[in-house]
Amino acid sequence: MPTSKTLYRWSGYLFMLPYLLAFAAFLVAPLLFGIGLSFYRWEMLSPVPPQWHGLGNYSEALTDTYFWKAVWATLRFVIMQVPLNIGLALLIALAVNEIPRGAQAFFRASFFFPTIVSISVAGILWRWFYSSEFGLFNAFLSPFGWKAPWITDPAWAMKSIVMMTLWWTVGGAFVILLAGLHQIPAHYYEAAAIDGANVFQRFINVTIPSLRPVLLFVVVMNIIGSFQVFGQTFMITRGGPEHSTRSLVQYIYDQAFGNYRMGYGAAMSWLLFVIIAVISFAQFRIMREER
Amino acid sequence: MGLGGVGANVSARPPQNNNHAAAPRADGWRSIDAITGKAWFWFALVVILCAAPYAAYQAVQLSGGGNVTIRYWNGFTGPDGRTMLRLVRRFERENPGISVVMQRIDWATYYNKLFVAGIGDRAPDLFVLHADMTPRFQQAGFMKTMDHMFSPEWGMSLADFDDNVTRYQKVGGCYYGIPLDIHMFGLYYNKKLFREAGIVDKRGEARPPQTSGEFLDAARRLTKPPRWGFVFTWMRNVAYTMMLQWGGAFFENDGAKCVMNNPENVTAMSFCRDLIAKYKVAPSPENFDAWIGFRQGKVGMVLEGVWMLADLKKQTDLEYGGAPVPQFGPRQADFTSAHVLCMRKGLDGRKLDAVSRLVKFLSDNSLDWAEGGQVPARRSLRETPRFRAMEPQWQFSRQIPYVSFHPFTPMFGEYTSELDYMAERVLRGTATPEEALKTAQDKINEALERRRQMLERGGKL
Amino acid sequence: MAIATRTQTRLAVALSALGSFVILVPVALMFVTAFKPDAEIIRFESLLPRVWTLDNFRDIFGNSQEIPIFRWLANSLFISMSVTALVLAVDSLAAYALARLDLPYGRHVFLVIVATLMVPGQVFLVPVYLMLNALGWLDTPLALIVPPIAGVFGVFLLRQFFLTIPRELEEAAAIDGCSRLRVFWEIILPLARPALCTLGIFVFIGSWNDFLGPLVFLDSVDNYTLPVGIALFQTSYYAEYGITIAASVICTLPVLIVFLLFQKHIIKGVMLSGLKE
Repeated sequence: MPTSKTLYRWSGYLFMLPYLLAFAAFLVAPLLFGIGLSFYRWEMLSPVPPQWHGLGNYSEALTDTYFWKAVWATLRFVIMQVPLNIGLALLIALAVNEIPRGAQAFFRASFFFPTIVSISVAGILWRWFYSSEFGLFNAFLSPFGWKAPWITDPAWAMKSIVMMTLWWTVGGAFVILLAGLHQIPAHYYEAAAIDGANVFQRFINVTIPSLRPVLLFVVVMNIIGSFQVFGQTFMITRGGPEHSTRSLVQYIYDQAFGNYRMGYGAAMSWLLFVIIAVISFAQFRIMREER
Repeated sequence: MGLGGVGANVSARPPQNNNHAAAPRADGWRSIDAITGKAWFWFALVVILCAAPYAAYQAVQLSGGGNVTIRYWNGFTGPDGRTMLRLVRRFERENPGISVVMQRIDWATYYNKLFVAGIGDRAPDLFVLHADMTPRFQQAGFMKTMDHMFSPEWGMSLADFDDNVTRYQKVGGCYYGIPLDIHMFGLYYNKKLFREAGIVDKRGEARPPQTSGEFLDAARRLTKPPRWGFVFTWMRNVAYTMMLQWGGAFFENDGAKCVMNNPENVTAMSFCRDLIAKYKVAPSPENFDAWIGFRQGKVGMVLEGVWMLADLKKQTDLEYGGAPVPQFGPRQADFTSAHVLCMRKGLDGRKLDAVSRLVKFLSDNSLDWAEGGQVPARRSLRETPRFRAMEPQWQFSRQIPYVSFHPFTPMFGEYTSELDYMAERVLRGTATPEEALKTAQDKINEALERRRQMLERGGKL
Repeated sequence: MAIATRTQTRLAVALSALGSFVILVPVALMFVTAFKPDAEIIRFESLLPRVWTLDNFRDIFGNSQEIPIFRWLANSLFISMSVTALVLAVDSLAAYALARLDLPYGRHVFLVIVATLMVPGQVFLVPVYLMLNALGWLDTPLALIVPPIAGVFGVFLLRQFFLTIPRELEEAAAIDGCSRLRVFWEIILPLARPALCTLGIFVFIGSWNDFLGPLVFLDSVDNYTLPVGIALFQTSYYAEYGITIAASVICTLPVLIVFLLFQKHIIKGVMLSGLKE
């Protein structure tokens, strides 16, 4: 009896078989393969087969000025984008939350819409807006005699990318934060009002604490997503001018699929993973301890 | 955020946070439920409807009946792609039994795609390369020699091509490509602005500059911000043209060592920077946007490729002319490239015959191709009255005796991206010419050294 | 909110209206500009076209050889739908097993699966590319259809949902002599329809808008999906803005329609699961 029972329990894995096969083939295998690959010198353009390279790819990345430039560009993107995105999303969520529920649907839909627009369309659109000669923004500025080098000046380009990203993604965080706001019971606010708290005090003492788990979630997700920025820079600036918007993922793409340096690309992917893991871990710890 | 990408894009999605999702769930789930009634049926139907044409298409591709199907790849995505497609359709009409599937991929990713297709044994039967790429693809081992095109059977003549163009096609005594065109840089100028600024000849026609002095004089007279005498568009190749004119070297030992940081190149790059900083006849560089400025009539002169004619033709209200690049440095020189027709290794029998026929057809009709904004590679065609009538093309073609391709290097990707970066930094003044050229040289040499080590260990050195 | 004063509400409405205007204007401009002639786009003079023209659309639809936009549309639909169907089928089975079947080491397996959520997608890019190359799947729809099945998120979401379904329902069915597969098919799946629907929408939109995947895995123009096909108009040179923007409109229109039809459910899904950044 016990054997057949065990067998029966094990047979449940038949349900999982299709998934486990895919999981093994396209998640576990590439993961292990990727780790292995990062220790090899594998350049598809050279006439020799892959060679064992030890930690060579990693040490090359750490001494590669372009790698650090890409890290810095990515960090600049994250540092500018995340607070603005979350702040803006929160502001809109707070505003929309004040509107009667029935009318909220329209605003939810309009703020959310850009997030489902394909990156190539969004990129084409914004490259046109930003163009210095026939772009929309400069056309609006020209009556005042101004002309901004939106994406042609290294000092401006990343800010322009951030602005476009805000337009594209703010709706996602906004919708989640709005759902979070909906869940704060009204009597919390009533109690605070009875205690004589003004709008600002209620925001600090009621809204923020109640919203904390949702906020944490949104911030962490936004940071992880921002570290992987690629589509915007690829479509709008191709990493220029002077590599000022070449993000880490784009540098990985350039090296792995532009110069076909597979091992080097894999090693840099793992370095990116380490950066993301460390930062999200720290984030969770900090937010937990504050609680 | 749509940043996930790749197979695992779904997996990159974050975990559910139950804390805040719990309360409104019941209501929400139920309302979604309302739409799902027959959804599965429609869903399956659409999948099948979309799959059917795909399957049919693949079947047609594979069988092709008794016909010969040629797979032909090129990078002509713009208006010249349309010209090429018209030529191909005419070929099909004149050669019943041969059909051509033409594939266009933007040059920016074309070579990656072509290379991988070649490695994976999926190379197209006929493909276009830039002349200076032939040696690399020949090395990769999936190209067929095209010497047979010069045999009496096909009747093409090697003497009909310029030596500086065919030289790159010759590897180990065999020719691997038939040049279709030569597309060099030239000077575009706005005739109306020239006349307004009084830069005219005796007949009162706009007179393009031929020397450095004339160029600077014209540029100064044309510049009246927001109008500019000159703009930098494709920085890499303008810089390259200048460096050629000052006679600077790029590589030694067949491309094994980069030596681009030399006094000649420094002088050339300083001159480029001076146009912006000292003479103030050009704005800070803005890539392609600056070209739009020329189209809008806000720019007097620009150095660009002959292929841009196709774009200019759309600006019907612009009066422009084409002329050879002025001589800025101590000697005359100009950047050029050429589109070359190449064949896949292993072509034989009827297919080889069909592809050869298409190559011959395209070459014989390269005046039609030139009309869209190219210069035919064949001398005999350039001497026809029809080509003489294509004024800008003809003007540009006068430079053929002294045009140069990019130098050969196995690290072409690194070379071009470093050249881009170097030109950008110098023109914007972020780095001095010496610094920028040194960075480029160091980076390219690093890549070459990496390759040398790899070859050495792999026993190929 | 009950406490809000009238002025506060007015302020909120004004702010939201302004915000949504700013957000929607770019899309509206795209639709309008698609009807401008190329030369007019280059010389921007007014928001609305001086001359309304269908030339841009005619150029696209009239050159199906050169701009196979309907093929891209069909490819996109085929790939996204196949991915959605496969993910739903495979993930629901797996999630059910993890939630209900009392698997030996089930918890450990689940933890391993969830742990991979931490790894960013880019890590997989190079190895998956090489694997697909070895399989000969590059430049075929398979390259975009099969790997996403391994996605972890669907299994996670559905497992959480299955756990909320009362066990009694299945136990009653089991007493009636139903096999586990029948219980799954006849009891669990109908109950899980809303969760499947939400997951389906996310997988679909994710696959439809995937850019890096098709960019890297596909070569031939005829095999492209819409987003990558559209990106083709951003050539290295030439300003074919009229055609480019018209093509963007064509690419966005289906998404817009789906969104308008299902927006309530799409947004509810995001709000409920808090899963889309």
